[in-house]
Amino acid sequence: MVQETLSRQAPASPIKKIAQRLEVRMLLLALLIAVCLSLLSPYFLTKSNIFNLLDQSVVIGIVAVGMTFVILTGGIDLSVGSVAGLTGIILGLSLQHVPIVPAIGIAVAAGGFIGLISGTLITVFGLAPFVVTLGVMAIGRSLAYIFSGQTAISNIPDGMQAIVYTNVLGIPSNVLFLIVLYLAAWAYLTYTKGGRTIYAVGSNKEAARAAGLNTTFYSILPYVLSGAFAAVAITFSISQLLSADPLMGNGMELDAIAAVVIGGASLFGGRGSMFGTLIGVLIMVMIRNGLNLMGVSPFWQGTAIGTIIILALLVERLVSSRVSR
Amino acid sequence: MQPNLAPVAEADVSPLLVARGITKTFDRTRALQGADFELREGEVHGLLGANGAGKSTLSKVISGHYTLDSGDLSYRGHEIRLRSTRDALRIGIAIVMQETSLVPDLTVLENIFLPELGRPGRLDYNQFRKRGQEILNDLGQGDSLPFDWEVRRLSSAQKQLVEIAKALGVRAKLLIFDEPTASLSPGEAERLFDIMARLRDTGHGLVFVSHRLEEVFAITDRVTVLREGRTVMNARETASLSQADLIRAMVGAELGAIYERKEAHIQQIDAPVALEVRNLSSTPAVRDVSFSVRKGEILGIGGLVGAGRSETVEAIFGLRPRTGGEVVLNGKSLRGDSPQTSIRAGLGFVAEDRRTQNIVPDLSVKENLLLAHLGAHRGFFCSYASRERKVKELLAGLGMPEDRLMDASMLNFSGGMQQKIIIARWLLLEPKVLILDEPTKGVDIGTRASIYTMLRDIAAQGVALVVVSSDFEELLGLSDRVVVMSDGRTTADLPSAMLDEESLTLLAAPRTSMVRNTEMLNELARAHDGAGFWGLIEGDRLICLNAVASNPALDPGFKAGEARELAATRIPEALRRREPVFVAEPDGERTTLVVPMTSPRGHDLGWVGLSLPTDRPLPAPETIKSRIDTMAATL
Repeated sequence: MVQETLSRQAPASPIKKIAQRLEVRMLLLALLIAVCLSLLSPYFLTKSNIFNLLDQSVVIGIVAVGMTFVILTGGIDLSVGSVAGLTGIILGLSLQHVPIVPAIGIAVAAGGFIGLISGTLITVFGLAPFVVTLGVMAIGRSLAYIFSGQTAISNIPDGMQAIVYTNVLGIPSNVLFLIVLYLAAWAYLTYTKGGRTIYAVGSNKEAARAAGLNTTFYSILPYVLSGAFAAVAITFSISQLLSADPLMGNGMELDAIAAVVIGGASLFGGRGSMFGTLIGVLIMVMIRNGLNLMGVSPFWQGTAIGTIIILALLVERLVSSRVSR
Repeated sequence: MQPNLAPVAEADVSPLLVARGITKTFDRTRALQGADFELREGEVHGLLGANGAGKSTLSKVISGHYTLDSGDLSYRGHEIRLRSTRDALRIGIAIVMQETSLVPDLTVLENIFLPELGRPGRLDYNQFRKRGQEILNDLGQGDSLPFDWEVRRLSSAQKQLVEIAKALGVRAKLLIFDEPTASLSPGEAERLFDIMARLRDTGHGLVFVSHRLEEVFAITDRVTVLREGRTVMNARETASLSQADLIRAMVGAELGAIYERKEAHIQQIDAPVALEVRNLSSTPAVRDVSFSVRKGEILGIGGLVGAGRSETVEAIFGLRPRTGGEVVLNGKSLRGDSPQTSIRAGLGFVAEDRRTQNIVPDLSVKENLLLAHLGAHRGFFCSYASRERKVKELLAGLGMPEDRLMDASMLNFSGGMQQKIIIARWLLLEPKVLILDEPTKGVDIGTRASIYTMLRDIAAQGVALVVVSSDFEELLGLSDRVVVMSDGRTTADLPSAMLDEESLTLLAAPRTSMVRNTEMLNELARAHDGAGFWGLIEGDRLICLNAVASNPALDPGFKAGEARELAATRIPEALRRREPVFVAEPDGERTTLVVPMTSPRGHDLGWVGLSLPTDRPLPAPETIKSRIDTMAATL
């Protein structure tokens, strides 16, 4: 009897197993895009453009980490863009009064606190993540304008530049930070109780709670991280521009969600990975960069990225229904 | 015609519906693999089978909920293909399910004519009211439904009547009743049978899905039995069959010993109490629940659907807030504010619904197995390695090769294997008490026996088991002792050896019927200053269903929910003789009338007794008997 039940499905071959992983298919897509772009523009594969690509990935990449955590629990955070804008203004104002490190601390703590509020409203009071973060998005942007007095804060101390323009072993510090962050987030999601709980919460919250997992804490935590990472991301932006504008981070939530989704995460939760998100970020940045190199009007970028997202998901749906059935 | 059909008595009865070679597969479970079925006009046809035999699937194929994979369906001689319930309704096929198709916030009338709401044009409520009244009159239930009430305020029996009226509102000719008596008291079930008989007499074809054999004999004309998705007994006349025939067909000869248990286990266990529940409440579903379970004991919790069994165990485990009472686990009070504290205290809980409450589909089999470990574990990392030895041991016990652990999804396994992995998830933590809610739901009958064996082995290792089940047969076969719940209260706590399915059904009757019975007993006792009781008598034992004493001196020596040897009560003589006269006890203290209570359809509902003092003139036994019969008619 047992033998019969077990043999209903033969174990998949290793190659099929690898092909079954969405991230692998998305990696192939990313490589395909890279090959196409390098054929279209000889400048694409030069060393300086590759560093340029990585540099452009930092801000969106950091925000996408928090977004991955949120989406893994089955939630969504629409407020990251305006939280980035607001915490950027908070950072700019703090820098007028305190040194760089405590100022960044204040901004990151403010981002985390906003996430804590969203997460609590969603988890404890049972409100829909979409609605709560939509509200926070409106509040955040409005407060950013009020705190800044509707103008950019431009007297940022030059010391901030050190955050970006320091090379460690030949790698720019912001790119290095991104790599370390992704490794740490991957390790956390894979090897710790909290990481596994986040997957379990997104996959089946009721079962996770019945097994004794702390579903409340680990449903709130991703929103806290998402808010805090939005502040970290905007810190890198400000240190490059040496200016904090209340408009900063506009539309960032869409880029982050797109990156996570292209990376294979399910918006219903439980499925997704840091590796996938990284590829999603790179695909987005490559398309932007490639179109710029080819001199296409920047207004076409939205069309290109939107098409890629929809096509990727469409192909994914068609392929995965064949692989898993 | 099929060769294995029983000889047709009247050749002119044309089949209303014929199903041949129906197959239906869900994911990897073959629910139906070649089922045949034939229904005539003007008959009640019993569709039987053990849980998981495919009777519900077949009903839903006929009613258009599922589309069949292969096979033929013909209705009134025409081949039909049903793509939806709407298709089925249009040609006159309706299914009466457990409250699922009603809209609780709409009124009774709107629910009956719900299909009309989808049509264009104005709604004519007066017309609805007139037609609704006609339908109810035809059913002989003229005044039993308040048309303007919202459906949420109705009892389960009334909701069912709405479902039936709704089917007749679209002039359905074929009605399927899927386990219609699961939440009804015996009296309500009888009323349903009256309605079904009327429908049969007006030429409707009725399918009656059930696993309660006595009901099948009471109402059906012919019977079809399914086993593991196949028809094993095709349209036999009910009158030509015995209970044993049906059981053999349902279970299959080789599985007769499915509930086989060690004799030693039936004996009273003197082990220490592992879990004690005192006056637990969690409003509204749980009102007053008390029981205890000893180490190594299997305790069953039984009751009808909606009695509050699942809610009780959830409140014990901490998944549902408590509003009162106390739970003591191994001598320590268990707060029950979260599953985590309960798990760390040594409690395990296999929730009722495997798919929504137990399995985490995106985690691998290994992580699913280790999920409760993760919940109980203190620390930053997963520490899966610390359980490696125990995991290996459990896998060997389950007969599962180790490499299957890395399978990405548990959903590729059969229901039985999934359930074993979920049970193993808790065994890994070596719990002191393990609660299982419907442990064999959706598990095919072959694998059930191995789950029962697994549970008995767990109990034999000293774990206290609490098993909640709607399947009375399973409850009696598996557990050492059964606690019965009704309307959120424990109503009985008896060794399972003393119970059978019928006595369980009566003990589990909804509180409403108990209230009526209590009223009558109270009136009788008060009018004559005596004591009354209602109970079942089997051999030399009495199971008391209800007892009231207006005169404390006449207390019969047992309380509701208790079982006693007849000789151990204070009225042994009357209970032994059970004659239609007052019987005085030898000690001369009291005299007792014990009369049988039967429903209007002749169904045995046990015995009602009235004890009176001997020093007063006695009332005529006939008047008492007629009061009892009147009450039985409304039970």
